[in-house]
Amino acid sequence: MPLEILLVLVVGGITGIAILSHSLGLSKRRAFQSADDAQAAWQREYPSSSVTDVILSQSGYAALIQTRRSIGVVWTMGDDTCARILRSPKIARVKTGLRLRLADYAAPVIKLELSTEETALWAAKLEGQS
Amino acid sequence: MTISYPDVVSLAVPFFIALILIELAWITITKRGGRYETRDAVTSLVMGAGNVASGIVLGFIAWGFFMVLWDITPFDLGHSWWIIALCFVLDDLRYYWVHRFGHKVRWVWASHVNHHSSQHYNLTTALRQTWTYTFTFMMVVRAPLILMGFHPAMVLFCGGLNLIYQFWIHTEAINKLPRWFEAVMNTPSHHRAHHGRNPRYLDCNYAGVLIIWDKMFGSFVPEQDHDKPDYGLVHNIGTFNPLRVAFHEWVGIWRDASKPGLTLKDRLMYCVAPPGWSHDNSRDMADGIKAKHLKRHPEDQGTPGFEHLS
Repeated sequence: MPLEILLVLVVGGITGIAILSHSLGLSKRRAFQSADDAQAAWQREYPSSSVTDVILSQSGYAALIQTRRSIGVVWTMGDDTCARILRSPKIARVKTGLRLRLADYAAPVIKLELSTEETALWAAKLEGQS
Repeated sequence: MTISYPDVVSLAVPFFIALILIELAWITITKRGGRYETRDAVTSLVMGAGNVASGIVLGFIAWGFFMVLWDITPFDLGHSWWIIALCFVLDDLRYYWVHRFGHKVRWVWASHVNHHSSQHYNLTTALRQTWTYTFTFMMVVRAPLILMGFHPAMVLFCGGLNLIYQFWIHTEAINKLPRWFEAVMNTPSHHRAHHGRNPRYLDCNYAGVLIIWDKMFGSFVPEQDHDKPDYGLVHNIGTFNPLRVAFHEWVGIWRDASKPGLTLKDRLMYCVAPPGWSHDNSRDMADGIKAKHLKRHPEDQGTPGFEHLS
């Protein structure tokens, strides 16, 4: 197949599928429905950890997880979830909440959408325990 | 005589797009058979495009290696249809072992991991392919085929057919196929299990086309109705950035192997030991994850995927 035709097919195909998927409402970000929902997403990643506390953000997009040994965050990305135990993240206060920078090439940044009160609470917990 | 085989993977691109649209329509209309998410799907498709591009840019390395072998070998099996059929079967066996190495040797896993990095399982996932296969040096596993007298172009043609076959099995829209087919062929059900991050499904069902290889070499685990595959990685990545998807495990290897205070053997092991190996046993490999699961769920002892653990 000539390269230019392949290129048109690939670029057109990706663009078309992206537009169609977005139009069908498939870009909506998942929100945790409850603290239990967030904890289940955490346990999916760290099944052996003993969770002692879960603080779900008002947006439902993230939860702060306290375990017996560590502190971590579980958050939604697209329709999926991800979780990380936090080890000395760089914490920055931004307009929408907090931005955590991790020394993790596969999860370099966690953007946490938090209210002002939540931002203060989460920052204190993260700075105090991570 | 000049031999020419079609580039079947490029020719299949319109069919890939059409089948993705059909699957998306099916899921949207019936509200079952899988799920799509825009950024995940686009990431998978960009990975697929990058795979084709890396083949164009780096393909000459493998091709040059194969032609050197072809010049060396005294054998030429010709191009009859049954030789092509035999080549297809033997190349499928080759695929099985390369795929198994891809899960058991971290250097090869670094290339293959991106294919498992989606938490979705749909036809776009099939196209989430590596950009770095050349650097795994797994082209050497094809050397015996060429030295036996299968022409390199035929071997690559059969490899292309193998990849095309594997496209349609990346779907939840098809449940189980007739028993005779499930017994011999790789199917959506068998491959869903392969993509599962559940402890039961770690390191199983490496087949490309014929599932018989897994049954022969003891890596077959049937999909269980009571334990639906949970797709993705043991530790999922937190990004849709294709560059990070493509290179994250290579970066991980570099960071681990360059840690201060390690022995040379430790550094080497971080490159070639199974994923999850660590010099201080702070991480778990597949069997460790399975053993911990059995501690939490002793009722799973002896069931598929856990038979070899006491």
